[in-house]
Amino acid sequence: MSNEVKSKEKVQMDPAYIIKLTVTLFLTCVVVAAALGGVNAVTEEKIADINWENTVNAMKAVVADPEGTTFSEALPLSDEMIAAAGSVTLDSVYEAQADGQSAGYAIKVVASGSQGKIEMMVGVDGEGAVTGVSIVKNSETAGIGSKVMNNENTAAGVGVLTQFEGRTAADGVLTVGSNVDAISGATVSTRGVTNGVNAALAVAGVMG
Amino acid sequence: MNFGKQLKEGLLTQNPVLVQVLGMCSTMAITTSIANGIGMGVSVLIILTASNIVISAIRKIVPDKIRIAMFIVVIAGFVTCVDLLLQAFVPAIAQSLGVFIPLIVVNCIILGRAESFSYKNGVGASFVDGICQGLGYTAVLLVMCFIRELLGAGTLAGFRIIPEQFPIGVLTLPVGGFLVLGFLIAAMQWALSKSKEGK
Repeated sequence: MSNEVKSKEKVQMDPAYIIKLTVTLFLTCVVVAAALGGVNAVTEEKIADINWENTVNAMKAVVADPEGTTFSEALPLSDEMIAAAGSVTLDSVYEAQADGQSAGYAIKVVASGSQGKIEMMVGVDGEGAVTGVSIVKNSETAGIGSKVMNNENTAAGVGVLTQFEGRTAADGVLTVGSNVDAISGATVSTRGVTNGVNAALAVAGVMG
Repeated sequence: MNFGKQLKEGLLTQNPVLVQVLGMCSTMAITTSIANGIGMGVSVLIILTASNIVISAIRKIVPDKIRIAMFIVVIAGFVTCVDLLLQAFVPAIAQSLGVFIPLIVVNCIILGRAESFSYKNGVGASFVDGICQGLGYTAVLLVMCFIRELLGAGTLAGFRIIPEQFPIGVLTLPVGGFLVLGFLIAAMQWALSKSKEGK
């Protein structure tokens, strides 16, 4: 290395210069953060509204009477409910209300599929029976696991998600192969969804 | 300020995608429908112009050693603003562009123009540069969207043009993106060398 480069390096390691760098960068960050805070204040509520609308649409898809049902805010999750879901992650629980009466719950759970997480909404009525299952988000293989996500028919001629409707915790644990039909070639995805429904029924059971 | 020259550079001779070969990732990933192309192109145009103006305005007080860090902070600020605004006001576009909006932070077109243009030029010229380069990027996106949506999915802006059984599905996959982009770059290089010979 030549002397020239060394001396240049020395000048730039001058404490005053380093402080100048730090202060400049810090001030830039402060200004940008303040601007972002301003934009966030404008958009936060709107984004929350849109997310809520999407959640409500997902919930309407799983209750018996989509038009006549309204939904509560997300209920607080107790340790018991989380424990009841077992290996499946409990995301949130909403109470469904029809004519001012409780009409069961919409339970959002995150189960594991063959390619990653399956976010799904399960509707459970006041008697503890499943009223519907819908998939919110998934990354299952196109053409295989996606058949489960799109509720295609099993060999028995019933939609793979539709078959859960009317099942209760009293039917025992749902298991692919014994009381749940899988889509041929997509057993793992079907099993993921089944685990999600079992967890939702268990959570609804804890809540009474 | 030479608007005509800068516009020609942005669209043709210094086109960010086809000549400088910047911003490949987003170009490949989102050009499957015209709506996506417009959304992404306009977002990049706005962010590029805004960050060009700010960087050019602060270029005299930015110490050389930390200029890249400062550029990134400014760019990330604008990208986050645009991301939040899209989510709040055009959720459909935000949904379909997904992670590619936040990824504009590391889109090399924006950092590349900050480093090679707005750090060395005045505010006015940088503003024009942002618009012209943004238009160049958007134009290429739209050409790619047009080809891939029409031939790959058989639709244009959502309307079916080619009956469902005929489109070449592979064009909507990443592989199709590489093919279309390769042909476009080749055509651009051919046209540029042709026009050079003519002079």
